[in-house]
Amino acid sequence: MKRVVVVGSGASGVHFAQTALERGAYVTLVDVGRTAPAPVLPDASFARFKREHDDPAGYFLGRKFEAVMFPGAKGEYYGFPPHKGFIFASLERFRARAQGFEPLSSFARGGLAEAWTGGAFPFHERELRDFPFDARELHASYGTVARRIGVSGTDDDLSRFTPVHEHLAPSLPLDAHSRSLLARYGRERERLNAGLGVWMGRTRAAVRSDERDGRHGCTNLGRCLWSCPREALYTPSITLRALLKHERFTYLDGRFATRIEADEANRVRRLHLVELATGRPETLEASSIVLAAGTLASGKLFLDSLRAHGGRAPVLEGLMDNRQVLVPYIHLPMLRQRYEPDSYQYHQLALGLEREDPRHYVHGLVTTLKTALIHPIVQSVPFDLKSALWIFRNAHAALGIVNVNFHDERRAECRLELESDGDGSRLLVRYEPAREEPERMRSALGTVRKALWKLGCIVPPGMAHVRPMGASVHYAGTVPMSAQARPLATSPDGESHDLRGLFFADGSTFPFLPAKNLTFTLMANAERIARRWCDAQA
Amino acid sequence: MAERSELDRECDAFARYLGASVGDGYVREQYWAAHAAGAVELPSTTSFERAVVSLARSVPLLVRPLDAHARVFSNGGLLRRKLVLLLAILEVRAPHDEELDTPTGTSVPGMFLRMVWLGLVFGVLLACGMLLSLPIWLASRLGASR
Repeated sequence: MKRVVVVGSGASGVHFAQTALERGAYVTLVDVGRTAPAPVLPDASFARFKREHDDPAGYFLGRKFEAVMFPGAKGEYYGFPPHKGFIFASLERFRARAQGFEPLSSFARGGLAEAWTGGAFPFHERELRDFPFDARELHASYGTVARRIGVSGTDDDLSRFTPVHEHLAPSLPLDAHSRSLLARYGRERERLNAGLGVWMGRTRAAVRSDERDGRHGCTNLGRCLWSCPREALYTPSITLRALLKHERFTYLDGRFATRIEADEANRVRRLHLVELATGRPETLEASSIVLAAGTLASGKLFLDSLRAHGGRAPVLEGLMDNRQVLVPYIHLPMLRQRYEPDSYQYHQLALGLEREDPRHYVHGLVTTLKTALIHPIVQSVPFDLKSALWIFRNAHAALGIVNVNFHDERRAECRLELESDGDGSRLLVRYEPAREEPERMRSALGTVRKALWKLGCIVPPGMAHVRPMGASVHYAGTVPMSAQARPLATSPDGESHDLRGLFFADGSTFPFLPAKNLTFTLMANAERIARRWCDAQA
Repeated sequence: MAERSELDRECDAFARYLGASVGDGYVREQYWAAHAAGAVELPSTTSFERAVVSLARSVPLLVRPLDAHARVFSNGGLLRRKLVLLLAILEVRAPHDEELDTPTGTSVPGMFLRMVWLGLVFGVLLACGMLLSLPIWLASRLGASR
């Protein structure tokens, strides 16, 4: 009888579990499992919500006004919705500190992808060169996952960077700003492609454009940033809810996994847990344990387990994350237009920048400004607020941002290690940017500015914002997959070479990180690993 | 923290300055609640910043030059924090969201001309704000030295 214990209910965990269940396994999923508040006024559009909600300030700004971005506050161009605070809330039992990195972890049902922006970008074959399996295997999993979660997109100029897979649903209707940009791209295409090596097309988004499996299609409520109340935008908690109905699925929430115990033959035997409400220790007998808690949490659990098993904890090298730079712009033809609150709010277009080495491709997500809170932007205009508001209201529909993503490679100086902390351990996360990063960014951002100019946009000088490492939350690379059996690595099946029966289904095993949101690939890879695990059990 | 009636008066003066309609009990309530929650005043708030806010509250006509001055010399100060807080409350509440965020219907050249004009006006406002703030600043320095 196939039995497996999965740790973590994020993008990787739920898709591993779903495939394993579909193939006849018994799955126990261990999770802290913080829950989201129930959706409010689920059918109301953004504008109607503000009219009908009896306490809009409490909803948008928080009961303690914690989402108000006061002048001088360090932060992004938009505030994080207070009711999404449960996603990043810390957990006393998970202790970490960082150098050169701002780590984010989640103990929510669905994990970090509860706060993602839906970018579903498959890796290209050349980006999978270091992955020790046939790229076609992952490609099949992309199709399977796309069918499950609903991915919309178009076969267009960007397909040269993000391959087309099965079950790609039609893209959502474009907002006027994005339409204008794409029309301009059509006219400037040759010069952009040949002159700058820049390509533009529709983004790939995990958004249902049709109604299926009890999930609604997108009806343009404009509340994406505030959590889609109709669940047209996919999050892993939707899959988790479906898994809960399965008779061979057991969900143990309110638990924190502390270590994996193995026998003398280095074969896993049980998982040690703590029930968070009571502090009571528990154990789960298991011969197969799948870590899907995210690179940082899985890394710490792995290190704690190795220390308990062998008396010392090694260092996990090769931590990767995508550097992101936010480039705000003004699309001149949209000045004085009315902004569109009733449309899909996240990126609808993307830019692809060809580089000399094709694996160093740069990916830019183009998001037009619609229903994000305006006060952080208005206050940054260098005038008194009355004048700033006049300028903003006439420019709102013309404002947008390109989120420029850069690839990352495994380097020894970027790592996870354990340090003692009272009665327990603490994770130390160290990150040092690559030496060539400044030049890489300077060159790519220059190209983005030129491309935006050709698309009828101006980039206000000095406004580009380099996000700190860790902010993109695309962590990967600390226990890489390898064709050769070696310590602190996994087989192509995701099985650890140190502890047999221990599998990694999250980003820990990625040997390379292209300049793309990795979440879709996390799901596909977890699906692939689950298939292989089921085949091996059979 | 100021008295409730003073905060209501301040809220109305600042709302009028931002171009929103005045007299919404919910907005006043939230403006007060944010102050009560300690979201506005910082431990570093000075007597000068409080005096500037008091002047702006008493003479609404002076809010704009004082804001221009604060934008350049005291962006994180009390006046700007209060104005940004009110802007945040107004933008999430109908019908103020529409009042603040609807295009004014000028042509594109008209818009650019207006922006040049706003730049010139800002210079004048800044000079006025400096003239207004100077005696307050001197008085607060004198008060502090005593």
